[in-house]
Amino acid sequence: MTIDLKPSPARADRDVPAPLTLTRDYSTPDRIYRAGVRISGGGVFLLLVVIGIFLAWSGYPAFQQAGWKFFTRSGFQTLGAHPTFGVLASIVGTVEVAFVAMIVGAPVAIATALFLSEYAPLKTRRSLIAMIDLAAAIPSIIFGLWAVFELQPNVVGFSTWLSHHLAFIPFFKVVSPPLNASIFIAGLVVGIMIVPIVASICREVFSLAPAGEREAALALGASRWQMIRTVVLPFGRGGMVGAVMLGLGRALEETIAVSIILGGSFTVTAHILQKGGSTISQLIAVNFGSGGTLGLHDLLLCGFVLFLLTLVINLAASAIVNRSRSGAGVDL
Amino acid sequence: MTPENTIRTAPHGILVETTSAPASTADGRQDPRPPEPTSPNTATPPTPTPRPRRLPSPIRPSAFGTQDAMILIMAAVSSLCLVWVVFYQLTSLSGGLGFLVCWYIGFVALTWIATAQVIERQVATDRAVAVVVVSAAMLIVAIVVFIVAWVAYKAIPSIHWGSLFTKDQKSFVVTDPNALDHVGVVHAVIGTLEQVLVAVLIGVPFAIATAVYLNEVKGWGVKTVRTVVTAMSGTPSVVAGIFIYSMLILTHVLTYSGFAASLALVVILLPSVTRVVEEVLRVVPSGLREASLALGAPEWRTVWSVVLPTARSGVVTAVLLGIARIVGETAPLLFTAFGSQVVNWRGYFNHDQGALPLVIFSDVRQAQPVLINLAFQAAFVLMSIVLVLFVLARIFSRPKGKNGKRMKPGPNDDDLMARLFVPIPIEQNEENR
Amino acid sequence: MTTTLSSTSPADADHPTPFTGTPELGQPGQVDAHDVCAWFGGRLVLETVDLVMEKSKVTALIGPSGCGKSTFLRIINRMHEVVPGAQLAGSVKLDGVDIYGPGQRAMETRRHIGMVFQKPNPFPAMTIAENVLAGLKFSRVSPADKDDLIEESLTKGGLWNEVKDRLGELGGALSGGQQQRLCIARSLAVKPRVLLMDEPCSALDPTSTLRIEQTIKEIASEVTVVIVTHNMQQAQRVSDYCAFFLAEENQPGRVIEAGKTGTIFGSPTDQRTFDYVNGQFG
Repeated sequence: MTIDLKPSPARADRDVPAPLTLTRDYSTPDRIYRAGVRISGGGVFLLLVVIGIFLAWSGYPAFQQAGWKFFTRSGFQTLGAHPTFGVLASIVGTVEVAFVAMIVGAPVAIATALFLSEYAPLKTRRSLIAMIDLAAAIPSIIFGLWAVFELQPNVVGFSTWLSHHLAFIPFFKVVSPPLNASIFIAGLVVGIMIVPIVASICREVFSLAPAGEREAALALGASRWQMIRTVVLPFGRGGMVGAVMLGLGRALEETIAVSIILGGSFTVTAHILQKGGSTISQLIAVNFGSGGTLGLHDLLLCGFVLFLLTLVINLAASAIVNRSRSGAGVDL
Repeated sequence: MTPENTIRTAPHGILVETTSAPASTADGRQDPRPPEPTSPNTATPPTPTPRPRRLPSPIRPSAFGTQDAMILIMAAVSSLCLVWVVFYQLTSLSGGLGFLVCWYIGFVALTWIATAQVIERQVATDRAVAVVVVSAAMLIVAIVVFIVAWVAYKAIPSIHWGSLFTKDQKSFVVTDPNALDHVGVVHAVIGTLEQVLVAVLIGVPFAIATAVYLNEVKGWGVKTVRTVVTAMSGTPSVVAGIFIYSMLILTHVLTYSGFAASLALVVILLPSVTRVVEEVLRVVPSGLREASLALGAPEWRTVWSVVLPTARSGVVTAVLLGIARIVGETAPLLFTAFGSQVVNWRGYFNHDQGALPLVIFSDVRQAQPVLINLAFQAAFVLMSIVLVLFVLARIFSRPKGKNGKRMKPGPNDDDLMARLFVPIPIEQNEENR
Repeated sequence: MTTTLSSTSPADADHPTPFTGTPELGQPGQVDAHDVCAWFGGRLVLETVDLVMEKSKVTALIGPSGCGKSTFLRIINRMHEVVPGAQLAGSVKLDGVDIYGPGQRAMETRRHIGMVFQKPNPFPAMTIAENVLAGLKFSRVSPADKDDLIEESLTKGGLWNEVKDRLGELGGALSGGQQQRLCIARSLAVKPRVLLMDEPCSALDPTSTLRIEQTIKEIASEVTVVIVTHNMQQAQRVSDYCAFFLAEENQPGRVIEAGKTGTIFGSPTDQRTFDYVNGQFG
């Protein structure tokens, strides 16, 4: 038998056969199965749409009443002939709480993630991760209890100290004591609550940093920290940004812990150390049921605003994390 | 091959041959050691020399010695003294937390300075960062342990075991000195169980079906649905509550009821469990599916009898953690279950219902010490439920190996609870794992 | 001339030798390994290796896969301990100073004993110039003339002519062979006394391999080179001395024979060495 080693004739000389069309013939049970899971997937899609529609629809009467001033006014005066209400103070408060939470929580979370991925001894790593993950399992109402009874009495002294020595920073100025039930304290506890979430994502991103470059840095005489700064952090930068944004999304939505702590007031304030302030979710939770029909629509509109806010932040953040995880974030 | 030749080259390798080379170190270290028969590298000797089995004991290279420990201790002590003088004596301030923060900053700074003086700056920075990183993790662990212990500590001394799980709050009388004998949280426990159970019964099948859709069915809709699931798992829990309220209660389809609460909890449960289950299904080897399909099994059978059973432990973990998450949700219940003081397990579909988180939330804001005690007891019960679920989930998260022992988990099995709270799309390629 | 590697050893704790910029850097050093054993997770993988890597010479470690060559190499610059669950015993002396002695810091050792890995691993986010200077940045040294140092290192690494016009480009943009030479240049910029190479050419094409072999020969006068290779011809071409590692069945790896390259390849005393270098197994 001889083997023909001549090259096969060029493409042009030859008819290319048409690709076979393979039809998949599903049996009836398979059709039912596929339809079932499709409906389920479509149901989730529908659910999100319905949430948006219903909140917008039921919040619209309030918007009709207040117009765009809804976003520039503050208050919850929905009864009577001349209702005034708006979400401005709550939006500002939400941002302030989230800001304090990020200032406190993000560095701790990133440091915790570094500890878990780079420093913790192999034997104890798993149990440490479990301990920190348990922080995510603790219900926020219990965080709130703890903050009111244990954290707050200790923080008030610290707040006093800050207001005495750093009053030149507008945020730390105190116009009217007392210093409990403040945005600062609420932000502090929310900051603790986001740590396990941000740390979890950062840890994963850090652990994906390439081993070859880690070794290269160490072999050049880098200390552990220099190795982290040269290899791990640049690699994980995108993921870190995304993780912090996800934490931000969580900080914006936190309801119960904030509601238990915050004093609640409808003035836009930069003085985060003193009593008062509100957030969108706190506004909804605390004022629900008071304020008549218009008040109800107002709160539902607030919910719609919060829904959109977190939706945008979360989608952007998860896109960033995903890009970083797939390695595309390296050349940022 | 002469014995002389063997000795000359074998035991010490290059060493012997280079002895005569001019050595600039000139310290005589290169003298060949006595040719004791340390290695069995002679293939020809008539009697092979027995290998000495005594190995040197392992050394533990440690970058952290006594000197380093001393630096840390000294930095801690001197920072304590310094801050005490400045904080209390000079600025006359109070507050344990402020003192602690100042001490900590001083400690890190002094550690850096001392290490830079004694060793060098490169090491100093490394050391200071290590201190910060370790203490951050320890802080979180300490807070978690403290909260769990604190809830138990606040609740247990005042618990009247006889009434806690048998009575509700309807017979609470402010003036009664033994009020705790007559109140309990049984209404809340029943309410929470009903609400969570129904939420799980509705939500979990949907979550698993959606996860199967995302992972097993290929098609144009998958990417969209995945994005939607991602977006939804970041939905604020308060929004889930007012959504059900506006859709079902405002429109008079339902009244405030446990069932409405269950639906609100489904909105929270569905996306987060879907995402985790999808992640679990993803690691089922595709070879298993192909093997089943190659045997002629239809797709639904492959999923039902091969894919899901393989991923069972992961699915159970996801469900348990999902329950642990919704059992403590308070915000959605405010607008749906509304809360009640009495047991009404029959009124699940048409009546206000209590729940553990609601008891805590409403009772803790009362000025009555008895009610505050009750709030702590409810918190203790809630915390216990969450802890049990958490531990069970952790036990289930390790799939069983061949010999019945639980295998080591994958890299991301460890902090799934945190993942339930944040939207992370799962589009990562497996090679990275 | 006494060379101390340690700046914090008890003997001179009062006068810590300023480590950086000492004349020892850049002088080729001699590595003396004695009784080296290594474990991974409790399993012995390397047993009582005695080996001297002579100053200014190229020593090749040869042997089949899994015989502990790379482990031994990583022990020489304390990279072994980076691996979780890894243990070791014995002593490794650089010009008479035990690098595992008390008070010795791993990062200092690694500055004196550089390493090039199997897979090229430049820092992808740094430019070529930054890559070359990375090691100096770690040890907080700023050379008098950076440009000179970059040119000198890249020339030694055999890369200068190819990249002199694009020093500002990212290190990841180079080809595989160029990346590996960049890694060699990066290691040389620190002016180590010993350069360890762990199969530096196994991921490269023949042309790049040739360039790197030339580079090895050129730098041998200034730095002691220890190279792990699977390629017999390469070992013969570049090395002055050779050590043959072998792990027999269920046994830890050990040195079977060591000596001048000519001897190992021409007239080995051990039958197993003969079999291996003549391609009978491995």
